[in-house]
Amino acid sequence: MLKSKHYWKIFFLAPLLLYLTIFTLIPISRSIFLSFQQKSGGLTFSNYAWLFSNFQFREAFVNTISITILALALELLLAFSIALFITGGGKKRILQALILIPLGIPTIVVASNMRYIFDTDGFLNQILTRLHLIEIPINWLSGGALTLFSVVIADMWKVTPLMMLILLAGLERIPKELFEAARIDGSSFWQELRFIILPLMKPFMTMALIIRGIDTFRIFELPLALAGESFKVLSEFAFFEYRNYNNPYTAAASGTLLFVMILVSVLIYIRVSGAQKETA
Amino acid sequence: MKKFWRYFFIALIIIWTALPIYIMFKVSFSPASELMSQDPPIIMRNITFKHWIEVFRSGNLWQPLSKSLTVALFTTILSLALAVPAAYALSRIQYKYAISIILFVFLARMLPEVQIALPISISFIKAGLLDTNLGLILAHMIRVLPIVTWILLSVFRTVPLELEEAAEVDGAGRANIVKNVALPLAAPGIIVSAIFAFLFSWDEFIYALYLAIATKTLPLMVYYYINRSGWFEAATFSTIIAIPVLIVTIILQRRLKAEYLAGAIKG
Repeated sequence: MLKSKHYWKIFFLAPLLLYLTIFTLIPISRSIFLSFQQKSGGLTFSNYAWLFSNFQFREAFVNTISITILALALELLLAFSIALFITGGGKKRILQALILIPLGIPTIVVASNMRYIFDTDGFLNQILTRLHLIEIPINWLSGGALTLFSVVIADMWKVTPLMMLILLAGLERIPKELFEAARIDGSSFWQELRFIILPLMKPFMTMALIIRGIDTFRIFELPLALAGESFKVLSEFAFFEYRNYNNPYTAAASGTLLFVMILVSVLIYIRVSGAQKETA
Repeated sequence: MKKFWRYFFIALIIIWTALPIYIMFKVSFSPASELMSQDPPIIMRNITFKHWIEVFRSGNLWQPLSKSLTVALFTTILSLALAVPAAYALSRIQYKYAISIILFVFLARMLPEVQIALPISISFIKAGLLDTNLGLILAHMIRVLPIVTWILLSVFRTVPLELEEAAEVDGAGRANIVKNVALPLAAPGIIVSAIFAFLFSWDEFIYALYLAIATKTLPLMVYYYINRSGWFEAATFSTIIAIPVLIVTIILQRRLKAEYLAGAIKG
């Protein structure tokens, strides 16, 4: 049993746990419960049936998954290139200070800035026109693949630095002796990349991808402020169902689906990071 | 040739990072004729303070600004009041017992906000907390608490147990150990986490969207103007929100550890 000299720990922890229970655990449970209810009461699956028969919802679901896959692939590539470039320190640290700046720009501000770029009268269309690549301005933000691309670019701008920080932390843990040994054997940069860096970086990449994947599942401000109702993702769908159509039940069902996706990702993350700890 | 590609890469990264921020500043200082045209110039040709003066005079700034400041301030104080003792206790519990609570905090940080905001918004309407500062503070704590607890946990882990054990042998009670050993050593970390708490409330958007309908916060004002095509006002409000966050991010560079932001579980 707990010795009395440890009792203080319970008093110290209780307020936080109580708060998280009341304001996180209970609301989540209530939402899940709501998703199986109807105005008339009683338990039902009809909210989910309605969602999957709804074209807009299926589109929101596909959009969420597509953004996640595309954004993660591009962010990983860019972040890894920058991390490889910066590692080793020296003068490059000044560059690092600059690269981290987007982390300090609030997401809604990023969205607002990206509108100046992607709007029909925006800077991107202007540059493309001046380079004679297009004749008529492109409507980037009216939905579809072009909007998906714009949202992905906006997300990349904001979070690539975070991904870079995680990968940099991993790169700096690779023992220098490995590179020295490889160089004595006359290896090229590409050989080092393939046989030393990539295998050792795999756990960091996996974890960065899962953590960032969870964030991207929840993406909200960027598509909302860039394209409004013409481009929906899951969390936006949940918001509009509640605010515009006054339907908390379908809003909760759409949120619950998101919750399940995130829960599965978190469980995978815990497994992966646990497995890594055992082998480390 | 290799050198050329290096500088090319650096230039590309600098342009990629700086351009959107530059455009925000530019728009907030540009005359309307430069943006509403078919071909908006990228270089700043004319500078006008018109939008800034209008925003300051319009009466749409002070209420959201004071709401954002008040909510962020109280969110910071209350979050620290709950998170400092909890993180300290967690750092003094054996890992195999603490891990379930750590995972709970970790999970709380990953959950979809829309799923939490929905029932909270419904209950706050009934409780009369919608559109109140208190309601928004309680909601912002949902976002801020897990992050701050996380940062503080790694802060308290750096306070050596030996020092506390020595104080305990000398007969100091827990209250004295916390006051005289743990808190002074953790003070810089606590200040950093307070700054993070403030900023995570300052730029919060989703809970505010659900709960602040009559009086908006600053991030909601940006959204408000985006929806009304108020380009200049959106840029001006964006700049007002971004400046404090930007300054702090630059100053705290060295403290921006990947694990703070990404929430990696470490053993």
